[in-house]
Amino acid sequence: MRAEQQEFERLAMPHLAALLRVARRMTLDPSRAEDLVQETMLLAWRGFRGFKAGTNARAWLFRILVNAFRGESRKASIAARYLPPEDRLLPGQQAAAEIREALDALPIDQRTVLLLCVVEGFTSREAAEILDVPIGTVMSRLSRARQELRQNLRPLAKEAYR
Amino acid sequence: MTDDELDQRLREGVLADEADPSRVAAAVRAGIQARRVHVRGWVVAAAAIIAMIAASALSYRAFRSEQAIPPLCSAAVQDHQREIIQGEPREWLTDPAAIRSLAQKQGVPASAIAALGSTGYRLERGRLCLLQKQIFLHLVFSKDAHEYSVYLRPPSGLFSGAVQGAGQTAYFETARVTAVFVGADAQEFARVSAKLL
Repeated sequence: MRAEQQEFERLAMPHLAALLRVARRMTLDPSRAEDLVQETMLLAWRGFRGFKAGTNARAWLFRILVNAFRGESRKASIAARYLPPEDRLLPGQQAAAEIREALDALPIDQRTVLLLCVVEGFTSREAAEILDVPIGTVMSRLSRARQELRQNLRPLAKEAYR
Repeated sequence: MTDDELDQRLREGVLADEADPSRVAAAVRAGIQARRVHVRGWVVAAAAIIAMIAASALSYRAFRSEQAIPPLCSAAVQDHQREIIQGEPREWLTDPAAIRSLAQKQGVPASAIAALGSTGYRLERGRLCLLQKQIFLHLVFSKDAHEYSVYLRPPSGLFSGAVQGAGQTAYFETARVTAVFVGADAQEFARVSAKLL
């Protein structure tokens, strides 16, 4: 294996699971998520020579992911589709499934900012760079996203007690 | 529910739905490999195209240099082909003194004949001939079973001083003669002779 590919394996491949996790919630389609992450990684490999060693590889990869997703969305409008319902859930899994369902119902901008900042732990500044928007936009989207997430959770909670 | 509690619940919910990335990892590695092969293929193809262009350029240059010999030299080559290679019957002078005399009558110094004879090439015979409607003294020299034609006439301003030529032809002009050499190693013969003529 060439040194460049070894470096790519070391810096980029460990983030594959996180990219796939976010891609699944962005696309709401497991197979499209896999395609999107594959495309992201190949784009990253192509541009790897331009990547500055010592900078944030994780943020760089997520930025590629977001751009690839936007490009894909432009080509074909994405039908908002929920991930397949998870039946026969254990009691502990029910709460997790509910919040995923509530998250999936959010608009893509709000969903993405929650995934980046809350789930993946990026700072608002990093998320702003990844999304190529002002930091104020990230913060307002985050606030609205939390608000809507709570609203989405309430009917689900009521349903659960029915 | 506070923001922190909501965030915690969201993290747990999303992290609980992890997908196995091994299939994507395999596809990415295969894609990288395919791209490397693809790029390598392009590099090989580009190198082949460059080599072909270079070879064509060299061939063309060689072709041009063959083509670039003056018409007078082409006429000399044809004459050499007819009279020396094919041996068409001609009347030749074989006596060196008679050849020198003939040369002098044509304005070619007899000393030039002697100089050519001192190069290691042996004077065999001589006669007058016409090349491009100009009279030349056609001398035949031999060395190592090869025969060479040397066409001489007084300086005519046809060529520059330096030895030029291509393939089996060489030509030059000095203050004493205009000379065209034809034969297997004519350029070497011409280089040696140019210093003496």
